[in-house]
Amino acid sequence: MDKNMKILVVDDFSTMRRIVKNLLRELGFTNLDEADDGQTAWPKLKAGGYDFLVTDWNMPGMTGIELLKMVRANPDTANMPVLMVTAEQKREQIIEAAQAGVNGYIIKPFTAATLKEKIDKIFARSAG
Amino acid sequence: MQDEDDRLELLAKAKQLVENIEAKNDVGTGELLSAMSIDRERSLFKEVGHLTRQLHDNLASFALDEQLIDLTGKEIPDAKERLNYVIEMTDDAAHKTLNAIDEILPVTTEMQQKSEELSKNWKRFLGRELSLEEFKDMSGEISKFLESSCVNTKIVSDKTNEIVLAQGYQDLTGQIIKKVIALVQNVEDSLVDLVRIAGSHEDATGTHKEEEKKGLEGPVVPGIVVEGAVNSQDEVDDLLSSLGF
Repeated sequence: MDKNMKILVVDDFSTMRRIVKNLLRELGFTNLDEADDGQTAWPKLKAGGYDFLVTDWNMPGMTGIELLKMVRANPDTANMPVLMVTAEQKREQIIEAAQAGVNGYIIKPFTAATLKEKIDKIFARSAG
Repeated sequence: MQDEDDRLELLAKAKQLVENIEAKNDVGTGELLSAMSIDRERSLFKEVGHLTRQLHDNLASFALDEQLIDLTGKEIPDAKERLNYVIEMTDDAAHKTLNAIDEILPVTTEMQQKSEELSKNWKRFLGRELSLEEFKDMSGEISKFLESSCVNTKIVSDKTNEIVLAQGYQDLTGQIIKKVIALVQNVEDSLVDLVRIAGSHEDATGTHKEEEKKGLEGPVVPGIVVEGAVNSQDEVDDLLSSLGF
């Protein structure tokens, strides 16, 4: 796994963005950027240069699931790994995210170990 | 228009009444007067009937107002659970943070004291003030210090990460409080509706607001059953693996 890959962290709560960024930094990732909802995230992703997207679901403007669908629909970003970190924990929503092509799904509150495990899994799969 | 017709009819009757009195037609006058008083009673009954009907409709519309039933029967008790959960989460996060600090502080204090002590001896060593015995003691101390530093800095960094993670309560309680704010707004709107309906003679039916689009569920709160929700990350993982993940 390339620790220099550029990661975009999207959450409407700035505390959660800081927490996720802190944990990612702790895991050795240093190339981190953030956005506060899908609407601000999408132009960044479309402009290119990102290798991994970590997004919340429930956000004003554009939700994480809408962002995921846009990422998958655009040929330039279609293959980008996407990890959802959200408080939404209804089965139908998890299934919806899976069908939209999410690569990992973490429910809040989560632990550092869970985040590491899911990221390892995502990149072990995409490498293999 | 009804009023205008009534008025014209009344005027015609009044004219007839004057004519009858002038013509000294006492029988006609008496009949006309009693007919007029019956009309009056009839319109009074009509008005009472109308008001009764309206009251009945309004009451029925309230009984059927699902939004109101939902508010009083479900959402307000839910809101209490939600706010209690916010207290619980903030309490838990504050304790986690303080506990971590309780573990960090003695470690940093010990490291600070040790390094001050060693630094003093090190300066004496550089100034060639140490005896061989003292030098041997110091190098033993330095070895121990370096070993404990490895352990201690690990403790500090682990505990600091626990503190970072504990701040997640802000996001989750924020989402819960936003929902309660929306509920309070909803209650306010319903009360305004109630006052408007009680104060006006308009028919209350047909003024229902369209049922609000159900938003996202947000954090699961203990004590509030959300149908179809998973309870742990393990269940998420199981569900995803059943989908071929």
